[in-house]
Amino acid sequence: MSKLNETDIQGFVLRGYNLLFARYFFLHFEEPARARRLIEQLLPSITTGQRWDSGKPQSTVNIGFTHRGLSAFELPPATMISFPVEFQQGMRARASILGDTGRNAPEHWEHIWRGDRVHAWLGVNGITPAALDARSAALRNLIDETRGAVVLDSQDAAGQIVDGRPTAKEHFGYTDGFGNPDYLGVERSTQPGQGKLMPDGSWAPLATGELLLGYADEAGELPVAPIPHILASNGTFMAYRKLHQNLATFRNYLEEKSRLYGGGKEKLAAKFIGRWRDGTPLELSPDAENPDIVKDPDRSTNFTYGADAEGTRCPIGAHTRRVHPRDAFGFNGKLIDRRRITRRGLPYGSFAGEDEQVSDSDDRGVVFMALNASLSRQFEFVQQQWIEYGNDAHQGNDKDMLMGNHGGSGKFVVQGDRSANNPPFICAHLPNFVELRGGDYFFLPSITALEMIAMKLVDPR
Amino acid sequence: MPNQNGSVYGLTILSPILDDEKASPSHDLQIRLYLSTLPTGANSPFAKSPGTHLCRLVVMDDVVYVGAPSIEEHLQSKYLVFECNLDATGEEGLEAYLRGLAEHMPDHLDAIWSHCVGYPGAADVQAFIRYMKACQVETTFFFAAVNNKSVTESLRALQTQRAVADFIASSQGMEASRLQAKFVEFAAKLKAEPLPKPGSMGPKRDIKLGGRNE
Amino acid sequence: MSNINGKVYAMNAITPMKPWKSWVLRVIFFALGEFPALQQDLINLSFIEFARWVSVPRRKFPYLAHGQAKEDLRYDYLLFFSNFNGTWNQYIDAFSAVLASGLNLIWRWSEKFPGSMPVTLFKEYIARVQFDTDYYYTAYPHATANDLKSAHVVQASFESLSAQAGNYTPEEFAEAFLGFVLQVQAHLGETGEAPVVF
Repeated sequence: MSKLNETDIQGFVLRGYNLLFARYFFLHFEEPARARRLIEQLLPSITTGQRWDSGKPQSTVNIGFTHRGLSAFELPPATMISFPVEFQQGMRARASILGDTGRNAPEHWEHIWRGDRVHAWLGVNGITPAALDARSAALRNLIDETRGAVVLDSQDAAGQIVDGRPTAKEHFGYTDGFGNPDYLGVERSTQPGQGKLMPDGSWAPLATGELLLGYADEAGELPVAPIPHILASNGTFMAYRKLHQNLATFRNYLEEKSRLYGGGKEKLAAKFIGRWRDGTPLELSPDAENPDIVKDPDRSTNFTYGADAEGTRCPIGAHTRRVHPRDAFGFNGKLIDRRRITRRGLPYGSFAGEDEQVSDSDDRGVVFMALNASLSRQFEFVQQQWIEYGNDAHQGNDKDMLMGNHGGSGKFVVQGDRSANNPPFICAHLPNFVELRGGDYFFLPSITALEMIAMKLVDPR
Repeated sequence: MPNQNGSVYGLTILSPILDDEKASPSHDLQIRLYLSTLPTGANSPFAKSPGTHLCRLVVMDDVVYVGAPSIEEHLQSKYLVFECNLDATGEEGLEAYLRGLAEHMPDHLDAIWSHCVGYPGAADVQAFIRYMKACQVETTFFFAAVNNKSVTESLRALQTQRAVADFIASSQGMEASRLQAKFVEFAAKLKAEPLPKPGSMGPKRDIKLGGRNE
Repeated sequence: MSNINGKVYAMNAITPMKPWKSWVLRVIFFALGEFPALQQDLINLSFIEFARWVSVPRRKFPYLAHGQAKEDLRYDYLLFFSNFNGTWNQYIDAFSAVLASGLNLIWRWSEKFPGSMPVTLFKEYIARVQFDTDYYYTAYPHATANDLKSAHVVQASFESLSAQAGNYTPEEFAEAFLGFVLQVQAHLGETGEAPVVF
């Protein structure tokens, strides 16, 4: 495979920065020439995938465009219509496909996501809040000077700091940050369990083309991409979703169900996701948390479900099992390899200790961002078929316990065995633990493509 | 024998459609029009006639031209395709099924097949059966995921599945003697439930998925 | 006038075959029928309710006289009718990823078949040879093949338990009930609407 030119690919695509303070600006372009000037001036600041061998920068900047955003740059019509249908439509128009109905329907979204004005996502990460603020101010100045855009809104997000140390915890108390796939040529080493399963049981990196346009994908071809090649290559698509978390509902529900569940509260919480709240996988340690496993990259994601077909360790409908079935569908995982996504994201809102009073209307949740070469084949498929539905896992219409759009009905089955602390258990009358508050689809171009957009040099053929 | 897979029979019928220039709309269009108004759910005529798991009707206009260097050619007639997966064993089983169609949905059969060559009408059941067999094409290879359960058994099982899930959820934590009594009561009630209607979507879910049948 | 009814999709496809090639295909199908083990992958893919291939030799299109013109064809035709769960894209993606050689074995005899991998060309071919359903009926639109198989497991276990239920002491029953729950615990998915096809 061809060697990746890391300086041409946006860093946000290739790396989880691990910079815990983020601010996402949403821009609207008013006039093409001024917008192009803004991009031209921004270009030197865009963080690439070049490795930080000499230490982390203070802050990073990356950019993505909606389809409407790209048309604001006067790209040729032939190019504009060559983008995938779902990207052209935008996420709001795909609501019924994604199961974004009822409380997750667009009419309940935040104001900026209900209209058609969002043209670009400008993602800033900082090593400290001060670094984030400084970078943000500099960017705002640039936007104002060039009059290249209007800032519609911004969204802050930040990882939780406990006793001065960063954690990967989200609001429900789960430790996140596992499970991003390894791609060929992207990482220096692969972690067992992250890539694709080989017939001999080992793990290999996924084809680069599952993440980046212009490279061979798992189907033995170049993924469908917009034209010209030079605009699409080294780029990728992102689904951005602001997910509000109903923390009070979650805590009450867990508390109430734990009283009837023989394994206790922490175990029940673990069954929802497939990992204990500290991150220990249930498959590897069904009875207790195990920090040694969590800290060891050779173990923390290294497991399969083959020996647990009944779901007695990790429920068949648990979140991690739904979104990364590994060998659970047979065929050496070949039905899974083209359904993987890279997640970037951070929680937003204030963290509340276990004993603190909380309300569902408190502003907290997670900014969810999924990166993939094909929104329809990867993100949309997983959302529709594996989160809001369960047929592939033989779970009928049952939805993902925590993410599902339940509306008060539906159920989650915890498969068990005869032991008193691992009984079978059904959680019914499921509320919406998570609600969608808005989002859209963005294209994250390569550095070359950004230059071409800035210089109005895009020819479709 | 290839039309049979377990207790399910794979019936494939290709009925040549009448070609009459004076008919306006043409016969194939009239079939299409009629089919577009026919209910596909619990009110389908196939729901009233027993034994149909899944079936389809397709007006096949022509063969396909896949492009040079293949030769372009055309059918002289259009054909009405009837692909049906039904409960029957052997030829007697097939005849019983066809008799069921003639008895339960003769008007619909006539409305559809009267546009086809040589169709005798459903009133003469023997002639109808002979006609259908004359149009039958042998299924070369027939796959069935479940090949040993009838329509009735399938509908019953689906009903049980839902009821059992509800019972298990609602009886969690119940103490032993109450559980037994409740289960016995539940089982009796379930057995007395009428069979769900074929073709229906089952009890309404509370949340809309935006699906086609809503 | 839809290819879709509830959770099941009706795909119709027709492909031309040179007569000597369709003879080869008929032998292959015969072998598949005689050796069920070859069907295992198809069974494990578990989203097909019923599927059939119908090889129609060029002189065997039904002819009923009564003024019908006789067919005069050079090719035999392979008709394919599938009743599957999931979306069109999902179905073809899965087959291409997992059963490519099996698909090739059946369709390589059809004119201009491009192979089942890579998938984009394969999908273009299918779109060209697919024709649409005018009327589609299913007795259980709210259930997939998986739902049905699970339902039968639950039915069998339920019949077993309810036959004996009255004969136990309450403690024995609780034990038997737990056993019953363990038998059916992976088979309780709800049935209902299908996701929107895209």
